[in-house]
Amino acid sequence: MDKKIIEVKDITKIYKIGDVQVRALRGINLTIHQGEYISIMGPSGSGKSTLMNILGCLDTPTSGTYYLEETNVEKLNDNKLAEIRNKKIGFVFQTFNLLSRSNIINNVELPLIYSSKNNTKDRRLRIMDSLRAVNLTGWEKHKPSELSGGQRQRVAIARALINDPAIILADEPTGNLDSVTGEEIMAIFQKLNQEGRTILIVTHELDIAMHTNKIIYVRDGLIFKEEKVENPIDAFKKLAEMPRLEDRLN
Amino acid sequence: MKRSLENIKVAFQALFLNKLRSFLTMLGIIIGVGAVIIIMAIGSGAQSSIVSNIQSMGTNLLTIEPGRDTTRPGGGPVEFNRNSTPTVRGDLYLSDYKALKNASTLTGAAAIVQRSSTVTYMGVSESVSILGATDDIFKIRNYKISSGNFFNESNVSNSSNVAVIGQQIIDDFFGRIDPIGETIKIDKQNFTIVGTLQSLGSNAMGQNQDAIIIIPVTTAQNKLYGLSTVNNIIAQVKDESLIDQATSEITSILRQQHHILSGKLNDFEIRNPSQMLETMSSVTNTLALMLAGIAAISLLVGGIGIMNIMLVSVTERTREIGIRKAIGAKNKDILTQFLTESIVLSITGGILGIIFAVVISFILSKFAGINTAITATPIILALSFSTLIGLIFGIVPAMRAARLNPIESLRYE
Ligand SMILES: Nc1ncnc2c1ncn2[C@@H]1O[C@H](COP(=O)(O)OP(=O)(O)OP(=O)(O)O)[C@@H](O)[C@H]1O
Ligand SMILES: [Mg+2]
Repeated sequence: MDKKIIEVKDITKIYKIGDVQVRALRGINLTIHQGEYISIMGPSGSGKSTLMNILGCLDTPTSGTYYLEETNVEKLNDNKLAEIRNKKIGFVFQTFNLLSRSNIINNVELPLIYSSKNNTKDRRLRIMDSLRAVNLTGWEKHKPSELSGGQRQRVAIARALINDPAIILADEPTGNLDSVTGEEIMAIFQKLNQEGRTILIVTHELDIAMHTNKIIYVRDGLIFKEEKVENPIDAFKKLAEMPRLEDRLN
Repeated sequence: MKRSLENIKVAFQALFLNKLRSFLTMLGIIIGVGAVIIIMAIGSGAQSSIVSNIQSMGTNLLTIEPGRDTTRPGGGPVEFNRNSTPTVRGDLYLSDYKALKNASTLTGAAAIVQRSSTVTYMGVSESVSILGATDDIFKIRNYKISSGNFFNESNVSNSSNVAVIGQQIIDDFFGRIDPIGETIKIDKQNFTIVGTLQSLGSNAMGQNQDAIIIIPVTTAQNKLYGLSTVNNIIAQVKDESLIDQATSEITSILRQQHHILSGKLNDFEIRNPSQMLETMSSVTNTLALMLAGIAAISLLVGGIGIMNIMLVSVTERTREIGIRKAIGAKNKDILTQFLTESIVLSITGGILGIIFAVVISFILSKFAGINTAITATPIILALSFSTLIGLIFGIVPAMRAARLNPIESLRYE
């Protein structure tokens, strides 16, 4: 059995809005091992984003325990959580969340700015490696606004990779992209997973979820069902078979 | 290191992104810093010329004035009486001057009558300051002859109608004509010009010292103004170190002259130049205090402007803060980023203020003839103050930024 990356037990999250309590998570148990490629599905409002935020150490659970690579996360203060987000987690958002005023290099470099250890030469190499991993060399000096949505999401993935995190958490990474561009993003995730990276994706589309090795269904703040995907879709193969707009235009 | 460089880079990015807004924000600091430096430059320019003027008048000169009644309130300008002994009303005469002239601690003395009179030459009339003096005045005041001669002792004893004139008088009345030997009318009496003075410029009080006509004191007393007294007597002490001795010698001579019984107050007053310097510096200190007040207020206003705009900036960049935090920025990273930004804003304002002040001072001294002297002190002060302002007024917005919740910030539209 591979090493446990994430182990959560009985995680609950209750939001209080005035007198009203919203029970977003009602006792989640989940274990993720090194090298897994998992998707989470569920209806809107079922608590997927809430769970991702807690797993990503952006938020803390109301109760329950959370171990991230042997670290008991729910006991940590703000500074320690920031450090974990910086070193162990690579977050990819639906809306990309790039710094619009910085160029691609500076965006990808951002996590390095907040982790003091690397020297400049090492930095350059890592930025280049990250950009190569998402097929985005040659765009270094451009601003995010000059890139297409798919390219922007690739910059976000490059940024998530730069500190060599324990896990990549992607909340609806293809939600704002068309199907071909979404497939390209899934191809990148597939390649990263084949290289050994642990990846967790939230999605609304079964099509996307079928790329991963396991689907976790969430409903009303609880895990409703876990299911292994027998023959996951090969994104590269699918991309090659996809009808191309360019072909139609010719 | 890399992080603070990044902070400064981000700060300048933000500053340049909203150039007009940044400039307007900095305006308070620019004006505050600029105004203070300009006023201080004018102040120290004026002060240095006043000091050098007082010194050029001679630090070994004592001025003896007729006594005023200082026992009564309002008996004279307070600041001048503060350092001197109380006096009663009295008068000075030429006999006092004669008695003082040969005092052992003095190299000489001059008696002076000073009035204003109408001077006429070739139909042109003008009111001019007339200095009636004994001939020693030329030596004591260090006047230099430009053409002709000074008048002499026999001119004084004979009450001759002779005059020595300053450069301004030449310009006003004679133009290109050689004034030596010409006759001018002072209050309807004819005077022969025997000499002209070299230019002296302005004195400590800003008066033009070249607009002057010097005539024998006796002529002024007897023929022009009908006086038996003189306005004051200038005594030249042999050496600056003898000032105190000279003061007591003059006191004893004049008390004898005026038959003042022991225990009674003097009816004259002796002033020395260092007293005047002290007065000047007390005036300057008051001015500096007022300036500091103005500076404090304008910098406060500038600081509030910076705080305001930083609060706006934090709100506008909530999403950026969320991204940075999600990616691993600690609260203290965000705090320093925004503090750096407000300090960069205020220091840039301070530097622009200094440049503004330097340019204005240059223009003032070049085209308006105002003496200015920019010194290092106000510049260093301005820079450290604007840094401090940025720090103090930046802390609240920066803390607000640092405390933002990452998830809520990411959700912010
Ligand atoms: N900050 C918050 N304050 C109050 N309630 C919240 C907050 N965030 C989420 N919720 C509530 O918690 C529940 C779960 O929300 P969450 O965003 O996790 O759902 P989701 O599964 O990600 O939905 P979607 O598919 O639409 O993104 C919802 O009922 C939501 O209204
Ligand atoms: Mg969601």
